[in-house]
Amino acid sequence: MGLLAAGIGAGIVALGAGIGIGMIGKGATESIARQPEASGDIRGAMILTAAFIEGVALLGMVICILLALGIGS
Amino acid sequence: MIQTLRRVFLTILFLSASTPNIFASDAASGDEEPILDVMGTVADHDYFKVPGFINGGKIYLPRLILWEDASGAKRFSAALSTHSLIENSEFNDVDHLLVPPQGGHLLIDFSITSHLVYFWMGMILAVWLTVSMSKRYQKGIGSQVEPQGVLQNIFEILFVFIRDDVARANIDDHKADKYVPYFFTMFMGIAFMNLFGLFPWAATATADLTVTATLAVMTFFVTQFSGTKDYWGHIFWFPGVPTWVRAILTPVEILGVFTKPFALAIRLFANMLSGKIMIIAILGLIFIFADLFGPIGGYGISVVSVALTVVLYALKVFVGLLQAYIFTLLSAVFIGMAAEDHNHSEEHYHAEHSA
Repeated sequence: MGLLAAGIGAGIVALGAGIGIGMIGKGATESIARQPEASGDIRGAMILTAAFIEGVALLGMVICILLALGIGS
Repeated sequence: MIQTLRRVFLTILFLSASTPNIFASDAASGDEEPILDVMGTVADHDYFKVPGFINGGKIYLPRLILWEDASGAKRFSAALSTHSLIENSEFNDVDHLLVPPQGGHLLIDFSITSHLVYFWMGMILAVWLTVSMSKRYQKGIGSQVEPQGVLQNIFEILFVFIRDDVARANIDDHKADKYVPYFFTMFMGIAFMNLFGLFPWAATATADLTVTATLAVMTFFVTQFSGTKDYWGHIFWFPGVPTWVRAILTPVEILGVFTKPFALAIRLFANMLSGKIMIIAILGLIFIFADLFGPIGGYGISVVSVALTVVLYALKVFVGLLQAYIFTLLSAVFIGMAAEDHNHSEEHYHAEHSA
């Protein structure tokens, strides 16, 4: 049961993080195409925002690992 | 003088941070280790792993334990290894847990563990690099003539990067420079710890939540102590909103003070842990295939597994440096938000234009 929960949970975590980081990438490439001279600032903001999303996604992943290993049950 | 004292204090703070390890006492276990122990590879141990031909591959580290006996008196036990602790004093090993004698219980485990050793190594390397380079700059190499040698050139690139793109970009100009030593120590320390994990036998100290939490707590305290009146005002009495909104905003803002360092700790921990587990999982495919399809399956999949691991290792070098940068950058952003001086020009603007 824990394994099933971990699998489904990891899938949903990957889905959410994928959508989020994809939208950041879309926004960043669009704005770099519009304003190539601001690419340095945009890249910095992109990494920062991606790090925030990644933090949430990895929190979910840690919980999935704990579930899969049966820690706490 | 005060500056020197502050530096010494910061260094001691870094070096004394302990990672408690109450339950790991796998020294006394007689049973043999499994071929592929995923959690054992990422977990903290009471020994320091070295190549197999020295001392059986393990150098045991000292155990320092503060415990309370049945009468409530506090006692302190120290031994060179878990094994000698169990032999010399009356500590018992029950299901791989250390149990003090005569109904006592553990209070604090100050034991030196493998992750703590790598933590020290990373921080000592960072401090050594900075001190030795600053001596060169005092002699005039780099300040009067151009920097000499590969090491000093790399150092200067990194230092100028941290100063300009991390500190000065996120903190008000007149305050930024006093935080640069903190950020640079943080960046180099985390980068060294992450990269140490790539050596065979070595452990990634940052794949341990206690290590990353220690680092995040330091950022938490630096943030709170550099907070201006405006920062506290925005937390407890948010300006420019109706009073009933403040009833919602104040708890959220107070929560936000603690979630920021929490996210910082979890992010670094999970990134390094997942990199490590990913490599073990991909190498583990070899053993799974060998079990399912015999030796041929094992050798066949090993070509794919080893190639993938090489790519992942290159990725891990990048991720290790990137995570050190992100940790430092987010620390700078949080400190910059707290130390910001508001000049309230917007409010004057609104007042003038609505009049």
